[in-house]
Amino acid sequence: MLDVTAIDTFYGETQTLFGVSLSVQAGQVLALLGANGAGKTTVLRSILGLTRPRRGDIRFEGRSIVTRATHEIARAGIGWVPDDRRLCPTLTVAKNLSLGEKRTAFRAWSMTEVIDIFSPLKYLMSREAETLSGGEMQMVAIARALLGSPGLMLFDEPSQGLAPKIVDDVLGVIRRLKAAGIASIVVEQNADVALGVADRVVVLLHGQVAWSGEAAALATDAGLKRRLLGGLA
Amino acid sequence: MAPGRLVPTFTPAMLVSWLLFATVPMWIERVGLYQYLGVEILIFAIYALAYNLVLGHAGLPSFGHGAFFGIGAYAFGLAQFNLAASLWVGLAVAVLAAGLGGTLVALFISHRRGIYYALMTIAFGQVFWFIAIKAHSITGGEDGLLKIERLPVALGIVTFDLRDNTALYYFVLAVFVGVSLLLWRLVHSPFGRIVKAIKQNETRARFVGYDVWRYKAAVLIISAALSGLAGGLFSMAQTSAFPDVMSLHYSGYVVMMTLVGGGLVSFWGPVVGAVAFFLARDMIGALTTGWMLWFGLFFVALVLFKPEGIAGIFAGLATRKHKTTSAPVSNPQPQER
Amino acid sequence: MGTLLNLLPHLVNGITLGLLFALIALGFMLILGLMEQINLAHGSLFALGAYFAYAICAPRLPLPPDVLGMWAAVPLGWRFAAAVVLAPILVAPFGLVLERLMRRTYGRDPLYGLLLTFGVAMVLEELIRMVWGTRDYILPVPREMSGGFIMLDLIWSTYRFWAAALAIVAMAGVWAIVERTRFGAMVKAGAHDSEIVQALGIDLTRLRVWVFVLGTMLAAFAGVVLAPLWGIRPHMGVDAVVPAFLIIVLGGVGSFWGAAIGGLLVGMVVGLSGAYASEWSMLSMYLLLIAVVTLRARGLFGKKSVLEV
Repeated sequence: MLDVTAIDTFYGETQTLFGVSLSVQAGQVLALLGANGAGKTTVLRSILGLTRPRRGDIRFEGRSIVTRATHEIARAGIGWVPDDRRLCPTLTVAKNLSLGEKRTAFRAWSMTEVIDIFSPLKYLMSREAETLSGGEMQMVAIARALLGSPGLMLFDEPSQGLAPKIVDDVLGVIRRLKAAGIASIVVEQNADVALGVADRVVVLLHGQVAWSGEAAALATDAGLKRRLLGGLA
Repeated sequence: MAPGRLVPTFTPAMLVSWLLFATVPMWIERVGLYQYLGVEILIFAIYALAYNLVLGHAGLPSFGHGAFFGIGAYAFGLAQFNLAASLWVGLAVAVLAAGLGGTLVALFISHRRGIYYALMTIAFGQVFWFIAIKAHSITGGEDGLLKIERLPVALGIVTFDLRDNTALYYFVLAVFVGVSLLLWRLVHSPFGRIVKAIKQNETRARFVGYDVWRYKAAVLIISAALSGLAGGLFSMAQTSAFPDVMSLHYSGYVVMMTLVGGGLVSFWGPVVGAVAFFLARDMIGALTTGWMLWFGLFFVALVLFKPEGIAGIFAGLATRKHKTTSAPVSNPQPQER
Repeated sequence: MGTLLNLLPHLVNGITLGLLFALIALGFMLILGLMEQINLAHGSLFALGAYFAYAICAPRLPLPPDVLGMWAAVPLGWRFAAAVVLAPILVAPFGLVLERLMRRTYGRDPLYGLLLTFGVAMVLEELIRMVWGTRDYILPVPREMSGGFIMLDLIWSTYRFWAAALAIVAMAGVWAIVERTRFGAMVKAGAHDSEIVQALGIDLTRLRVWVFVLGTMLAAFAGVVLAPLWGIRPHMGVDAVVPAFLIIVLGGVGSFWGAAIGGLLVGMVVGLSGAYASEWSMLSMYLLLIAVVTLRARGLFGKKSVLEV
């Protein structure tokens, strides 16, 4: 579904990604791991066109998106849940959600379905986004992305700042999306969380791919895990 | 910044310009123009050089410089009427009064930059313009300050009458040479280098320990004082002073001619701009009353596509040897979220 | 007590001015929030609104004489109404061009945006001078809206109430758009965070264009409504962009009520100073700007100010 081929991305004049390649298939979950500053968020931003790669190619559903405008990339069916959630603070939850509504080539999710998945939303609709707790904001952010009919979801640090129970809920949602055929890339510093749902893993180190393979392989090989992820596991 | 590099006292471009300007009275009428035009060009060249200290060298957008020019103009006339009918006293008062005006404004705005700085200069410009119009008893209001005389250049032994446009021209040329040498030295002094550093990155300059406020204030005050000098010369040349030189519209003229000439990248750019502005006024103006519109459109086009202006275009064509002042600040900071 | 009562008409004048200032500020603010660029030419759009209104009302239009004669025979009330509706529409294309030009300076050193919009303001002022000359004009007001009446032993100007009413209607319209439509939600979100809005599939460029058109039309509308009070002259633009900026500084970027209340504050200062020395009322606005910018940089309502550069 998504093929990233040897992208070099820069922030200003500083290169942050060096020849990064990865791919995700429909219904697959790819965990993108690595230390802080390894470039994980940059990969997501490169896919979305927010920080465009200078070299390399990114293809979504066979079509190159590396030079397309961000809103076109989003309309192609890529949803984003950024690490800082980014809800519009002065808008209500209902308005925030409605901003995400759009139709793409992929399956549309209705508001009813989404509230069904995230039941607390029912009571939060008229609350102003800035009054929500971290977990509630996360829920709204995911729901908002889902309302955009994604084929691929990009999760940036979904467990960040959340209580373990909520993290479980989030992982449950990711599994549910997977079952519905939606692909996901999950960026995480907390490797164990990601390994809980991932099929494949890519580990980044200083902007380069240090390892890529099956999640099961990494989960079972403690030595490999320690070497790649150090104290992060 | 290579410490050991010898900075020339002036560049070939400057020298050639001075010599060219010196020959102007010999051929100006033969090309169908007139001597007074030369006077206007040189006065505004001084004004634009002074203005560029703030815009090009310090990177501060002032849209109210007309106030300082105007203060100088009025001060010269008022000194002549109330103090002494002396050229030197008049010009000195013009410089001092404009410098004081600059000091007042600098006190309020030197800790800012960008849009706040710009709007404050507009506000102050409007206030001064307003006062010039309303303080009828001092400034003559909308009728202007009239009957200002061109006082003679008294150098002790000899006296030069400036009522002839050619004589006035040479006097203004002498002032112009002096001002350009002064500003050139200033820009290449340690003071000028620090101002350049502040333009590039004010925060870093503050970190390194410079009192940024003081430098920005100094730049404005010096620029104001020299603009006042130009204003004094102007009111003397015109034998009158009117409020409209302080208007936002008029302040805009010096902004435009400075950038069009290439003030953002070249020390001498403002001079080129002044020449271009007045030639456009007289030559295009002969064809259409809308010459200002075309000049304005040209200005807009340059801001969009070639902010380096005329001087920048020539510098690009020629060698890069004499690129002495700062490049346009155009690196956008990467959006970090 | 007598003097306080005498202040009332000036207070009303101030409120009227304030409402119109707030309207200009709202348009200015919507654009600023989304483009993060100060548009110094905003006042020129205001001026064009006044001039187009004059052309429609006077009437002074480049039409064949018999057509013009027919239009002149139409009652002034209808012509004025036409001006109120048409002038903003006529000014909208200028806003579109300006937006296009400003796009090129987006993301660069803010100095370029300032120089560009300043240059455009000068060009537009020159255009106005060329087309309409440099003399002052007065916008004719229909008899039903003009003149005065006596109440509480004071003389009140009828038009000021009309102007206030028009301003309130326009502001209500803006409020409805910003608070109740999807467009408004997109604008609010985009002003806060341009990246997430794009990532939700919203074409930010198109959004900016529409906001610019809206802001332009608001400025032009204010120009029409204020014209009978202020007169029409080529450099009237500055007197519109300065209060807009002042209101933003007071009320913050991104707050409807901040702009509204800030507008009223500024309007009342100008209106009340007009009570003491009518000639100096405009000056009070500039002095207020200097004072406010000197004393505070953040608004009363808004949060981070994009102006802090």
